[in-house]
Amino acid sequence: MNSLRFRLIGVVLVINYALAPLLYLGVSVIVQRGYAELFVNSVRSFSRLTADELEAADDRDFEESAARLLDGAMLTGQIAFAEISDGKRKFHSSIPVDVTVIPRPDDFDFGDHGDQIYYISHSVKRGSRSMFLRLGFDERPTLESITAAKRRVLLAVLSFTLASILVSIWLSAVIARPMVRLREAAKRVAGGDVHTRLQMSSTIREVQDLTHHLESMRRELVGANERLASEIREREVSELKRLELERRLLHRERIAAIGTLAGGVAHEFNNILTPILLYSQLALKDTPADSARAKDLGRIVSAAHRARSLIMRILTFSRQTDSQGVTVFPLRSTVEEALALLRAIVPTNIEIVFDAQCEEIRLSGDPSLVHQVVINLGTNAYQAMQRTGGRLLVRLWVAPVRATPEAGTESSAILEVIDTGHGIEPAALAHIFEPFFTTRDVGEGTGLGLSVVHGIVTSMGGRISVESEVGRGATFRVHFPVAAPGALAAVVEGS
Amino acid sequence: MASILVVDDDPDVAEAIQAILERSGFHVVVANGAEAGLDALRNQEFEIVVTDLIMPKVNGLELIRKLRVQHSRVRIIAISGGGSLGPLSLKPEAISTHAFIAAARDAGAEEVLTKPFDMDDLVAAIRRHLPN
Repeated sequence: MNSLRFRLIGVVLVINYALAPLLYLGVSVIVQRGYAELFVNSVRSFSRLTADELEAADDRDFEESAARLLDGAMLTGQIAFAEISDGKRKFHSSIPVDVTVIPRPDDFDFGDHGDQIYYISHSVKRGSRSMFLRLGFDERPTLESITAAKRRVLLAVLSFTLASILVSIWLSAVIARPMVRLREAAKRVAGGDVHTRLQMSSTIREVQDLTHHLESMRRELVGANERLASEIREREVSELKRLELERRLLHRERIAAIGTLAGGVAHEFNNILTPILLYSQLALKDTPADSARAKDLGRIVSAAHRARSLIMRILTFSRQTDSQGVTVFPLRSTVEEALALLRAIVPTNIEIVFDAQCEEIRLSGDPSLVHQVVINLGTNAYQAMQRTGGRLLVRLWVAPVRATPEAGTESSAILEVIDTGHGIEPAALAHIFEPFFTTRDVGEGTGLGLSVVHGIVTSMGGRISVESEVGRGATFRVHFPVAAPGALAAVVEGS
Repeated sequence: MASILVVDDDPDVAEAIQAILERSGFHVVVANGAEAGLDALRNQEFEIVVTDLIMPKVNGLELIRKLRVQHSRVRIIAISGGGSLGPLSLKPEAISTHAFIAAARDAGAEEVLTKPFDMDDLVAAIRRHLPN
């Protein structure tokens, strides 16, 4: 009942109920008065004319002419009663009347009496004689006309009321329809469908304005939603970045702690290994070469050598926290150095081949990091082959110079570490450079090696890729950007 | 018979070196620290001093510098422990080129051996630096 339509219709109904009776009563009064005035005016002038004619009538046959006059008046059909009296006598019309004649003194009121007769008296002077003409006019035709007129007025008022109600129903629908549509649209927006445009179908300016404002609000909402969504996305991304940074920092810190510890332990172990190695070699010297004891001592010596290699490897690992800083360094010698170290730790059933198809190449960066790349890739390769044995091939060459839009020309050194081991599952290939990804059993690897390699190569502006087939070995290919000749000069001058 | 002074705070290392060198026919005195080493040099002439680099109180580099001033004729073979103890400047730089080696050479050592070294390498180094 609170809807716009019902209110509009209600207001129109109330106005009609209040105004229609007033209108009817007012118009009725005017109609009645008009008819009455018309009636009174006409009967007065009629009775005046009759009185004048009586005054002017001939004396000789006065009574006859008076009777004729009265009959004439009666014959008009308007007069129900006609009488002339001079105090002693009364003349009546000879035509009978069908109303109950109750002679009364003058009565100038219209209606409102039981006899429905309007009486008028006129004094008529005839010489010395004074007479009275008394005429009674029938009010009924006029009263009937008034009643009919009132009925028409009532009909008109009722028609008008009905029409105005119908118009109000139609109008309220016209006004309410766009509002209802707007309400539905607003409901949709509130329900989450913010992307449907609001339609403007009304010709009413206020409704158009409202639609326009709502549409602006909707657009603003959509914009705000999008801004919010993109802000959330940005935050998610930055949160991921932050977590990644945190993880890397934690990783670096852990590696640094391991490095510090490893450095200290290595120092102590070197001191302990020194007498072991020296005494066993001394004892070996004193023992006949073919004896079983010489063999045992030889095993101690070789074990001590392997321990030495292991310590050097640990130091190499710990050195990543102790960066030498960026410098221009020879790549080939660095790789050779790392391979020499690798030879010390790799079992003899694995052959290491270094195939350098180029002269010395100069890279800019930290040589100890390249060292680590070779050691890590080499260690992975030999672990893939340690059960079956195999061949670790390390190839180094310079890729042909190619033009790039940014730097003009660029050449890259390509380092390939190829093994003949068990290969890598296709599913694992996609994740192989992710931190903590490992296919080894618990305790056999941290899953950090290749992610560290990836990090180092990327930090040097290079890239790394891998190809592998299960059972056919794996090939890791690293592209290092070669230092421009100018860069070398700059570093030399700077140092 | 050539006299060799071995300076090392680790008695196991010092005695092992002593055993090797005595077997090779050298006269060997062991000092467990740089100060003891300098004392020994005051009492006796040595052709060669074999010294550790990282030692408490007076370290090997200082000992080498002092020897170069006080006993300019003595030949010095430094033995480095490796690892990354001590100040940053003494940290190893690379596998083959070692900050210890460079520092010891700068201070005046004729040769630097990295622990753990082989017996033959030690004896060869001693023989290289003996006069005649």
